[in-house]
Amino acid sequence: MGMSVSGGGGVKAEPNVTPMIDVMLVLLIIFMITIPQINAGFTAVPPEGQNLKPHPEEDGDQVLGIDDQGRYYLNKRPVRNEDLETLVREIYGVEGRDDYIMYVKAHKDLQYLKVVDALGVLSKSGVRVAALITEQSPGTESLVESDRILGSGGEK
Amino acid sequence: MGMSTGGGGSSLNNEINVTPMIDVLLVLLIIFMMIIPMSRKAIDTQLPDPNPQPAQPNVNPDQIVLEILPDDKYAINKEPIEKTALFERLKSIYDPRPEKIIFVKGDTMVKYANVIWAMDQARGAGVKVIGVAPK
Repeated sequence: MGMSVSGGGGVKAEPNVTPMIDVMLVLLIIFMITIPQINAGFTAVPPEGQNLKPHPEEDGDQVLGIDDQGRYYLNKRPVRNEDLETLVREIYGVEGRDDYIMYVKAHKDLQYLKVVDALGVLSKSGVRVAALITEQSPGTESLVESDRILGSGGEK
Repeated sequence: MGMSTGGGGSSLNNEINVTPMIDVLLVLLIIFMMIIPMSRKAIDTQLPDPNPQPAQPNVNPDQIVLEILPDDKYAINKEPIEKTALFERLKSIYDPRPEKIIFVKGDTMVKYANVIWAMDQARGAGVKVIGVAPK
């Protein structure tokens, strides 16, 4: 009994930090993975709107970005303006695609001319529907009933 | 000593400590809860036909063309309209109309955000299909 008192090993006064370290490491790993994907070279602030249709992100979505200088990014990779048509046609020119929708994320202060130029290129390359990515204005909800159903259901 | 051996079952437990795992899972749950509502939203637009047919003689006379002009001015079928009155006007047009199609033609000088605003108003007024007019 005297030994167990002097050992003191059974009663620990310091808190157990192992769970906290586990949590921190997981957070660290998650941020390491997501941050490069979020700002991979391309930044554009899309305009805000109210009556928007939810489009949950899916694999295989094609996104054309147009930044505030009017430069094009295809799926976040910068492309030269003159190459865009060829590259988009490689994606949409194939037979038997089940959708011909392309997402366009353009900066809000761009001249509309730049956007309509891009849309013209897309239409020549086989894109049928351009989904113009827009942010929901804070505190608003779409007036269109089907959008609200889609939004709460979460899936298309 | 006999007592410490017998009582040892209370200080030595051979169950797995699941507390760290639960912590990790809760954090993962919270992170996914934050990411999933950030789903993307967009306005769908129909692009112009790349190979337009030679101008059809029977072009639909009652199609609606919304023009966005510089200095925040708007026009429906060439008829100028105030920004504040646009939504009500569109609603009065599209409520009785069976075909909910609009063509949006933006002046080259206007900002993209203004065009999006106009498309947004049109969707709110009941338009289902938005066509982008070619340049």
